[in-house]
Amino acid sequence: MRLKNKVAVVTGGAQGIGRAVALGMGRESAKVVVADLQAEKAQSVASQIQTLGAEASAVEVDVADETSVKRMAKSAFDRFGRVDILVNVAGIYFPKASVVDLSEEDWDSTIDINVGSNFLCCREFVPSMRAQKSGRIISLASGIGHYGMRQFAHYAASKAAVMGFVKALAREVGPDGITVNAICPGSANTSMPRQHRSEEEVLARLRSTPLPRILEPEDIAGPILFLASDAAAYITGQTYNINCGSYMF
Amino acid sequence: MNSVALITGGGNGIGRAVAHRLAAAGMTVVIADYDHAAAQQVRQEIIDSGGNADALSINVSVAREVKALVTDIAQRLGRVDVLANIAGGSAYTKRIEELTWAQWKEVMDANLKGTFLMCREVAPIMQRQKSGRIINTASNYGVTGSALRTPYAAAKAGIITFTKSLALELAPDNVLANTVAPGPTDTPRVMEKESAESRQQRWWPQIPLGRTGLPRDLAEMYFFLTTPESAAMTGQTFHVNGGVVMP
Repeated sequence: MRLKNKVAVVTGGAQGIGRAVALGMGRESAKVVVADLQAEKAQSVASQIQTLGAEASAVEVDVADETSVKRMAKSAFDRFGRVDILVNVAGIYFPKASVVDLSEEDWDSTIDINVGSNFLCCREFVPSMRAQKSGRIISLASGIGHYGMRQFAHYAASKAAVMGFVKALAREVGPDGITVNAICPGSANTSMPRQHRSEEEVLARLRSTPLPRILEPEDIAGPILFLASDAAAYITGQTYNINCGSYMF
Repeated sequence: MNSVALITGGGNGIGRAVAHRLAAAGMTVVIADYDHAAAQQVRQEIIDSGGNADALSINVSVAREVKALVTDIAQRLGRVDVLANIAGGSAYTKRIEELTWAQWKEVMDANLKGTFLMCREVAPIMQRQKSGRIINTASNYGVTGSALRTPYAAAKAGIITFTKSLALELAPDNVLANTVAPGPTDTPRVMEKESAESRQQRWWPQIPLGRTGLPRDLAEMYFFLTTPESAAMTGQTFHVNGGVVMP
C-alpha cells in the first residue's frame, strides 16, 4: 500500500521488466497507466492490475514519437487527473551490429527509442510534477552503459546517455521536490536475451552470476517500487545496479 | 523466530535511526556502541515502543572485543540475519603534514578495520545460515575525496571496495554485502560542531533536493537492504545524499 493514491505511468509496461513494474505498482495500490507500443498486451496487463483491485488503464504509445507521447500523457491526465511517478522502461536492444556495419537508421532508432524517449516523456510530465512540488522519475539504463559490449555500441551509448540525462534532470528538478534515478539491470530472465541466444545459452548466462539465483523481472521491480515510495525521498541522481553481483560499479 | 540485526554505532545518529527502523519492522535489534549509555538509551526507547532490543559495549577496532561480542550474540540469540556496520567517523580535519601516524591509524581502524573485524566474525554465521545481509557504511567522501580528511576518505573508499570483494566471497552462500554512502547528514555529532544555520548556508545551495540529510532518510535505505526486494543486489554502493554527489 506504499503507493496508495499515487498515479504511475510505466512505459514499456506490456512485458518483461515493465510488466513486473506495472503489476508491482498495482500491488502497492497505485493507479497505473500501462503505456506500450503493443496495445493488446498493455491492455492485458492493465486488466491484471484491475484484478488485483487497483485502477489501471492501457494506452498505445510510440515513445520516440513526439505526437504519440503527447497523446499518451493527455490520456493519463484525462483518466487520473495527475501523475506522480514516471517509469521509463520502454527500449530496444537490437539490431546487433559492429560499429562499421551499423546503419545510420539503426543508430538513430536505438538512440531515439532508448534515450530520446526519456526526454519526450519527462518533458510531458515534469511540469505537473513541478506544480505538485513532488514526483518520482525512474529510468531504465543498463550495465552495458557502464562496461560496453561488442556489437552493441549503439545500445551501450544510448544507456550511458540515459544515466547522464538522469543526473542532469535530477539537478534541474531537485529544487521542486522531484527525484530522478536510474536502474541498471543485469541480464534478466525475459524475452530480450532470447532474441539472439539459444535457451541453453540464456540459462547458462543467467546462472553465471555470483549470487546463486536467476535475475527475474520482479527483482528489478522491487528497487523501482522503493525508489517510487516516500522512503526514497532523499535519493536523487543515482544509478543503482541490480544484477546478482555480476557487476559492481 | 525474529530476525536478529546487529548494528554497530547504534547508539547515535544514523545508527540509532537504523536501530529504530529495523526494530519497527519486527527485528530483534542488538545495539553495539562504544558509548554504552547511548546504546542503553536506544535499547530502552525501542523496548518502550514495544520492540525487542539489546545493548552491548564495543570498540570495533579491537579484535578480541569483536570476537567476544559476536560469540555472545550467537550463543544467546542463535543467529545473525543483518549486520549493519555504522560505527566510525571522522575525528580530525587536518592538513596531511599535521596528521600524526597515531591519528591516521585511529581513523583507519575505527572505520575500515572495524568493518573488517565485524564482517570476519559475522560472515561465517551467515554462511552457515545460507542467508544474511551485511550493510557497510561509506561516505560520499569515499568517492569524491575531501580536503583535510585524507584518512577518512581513504578508509571510506576502502570500505566500498572491501565490500565488493566480500560480496563476491559470500555470494555462493546467499549472503549479500552492500555499502550505503551517506552525504551530509544532520547527526547530533555533526550538529555539535556546526550550527544549523551554518550548515544550511554551506550545504543547501549545493544539494539538488535543497536540504541536508536526516538519519531517517538513511535508515530507510538500510531497511530496504534487509528486505526481499533487494535480494538481487550485492556488492553495490547506494548513495543517499540528496543528489550532492552523482557518481
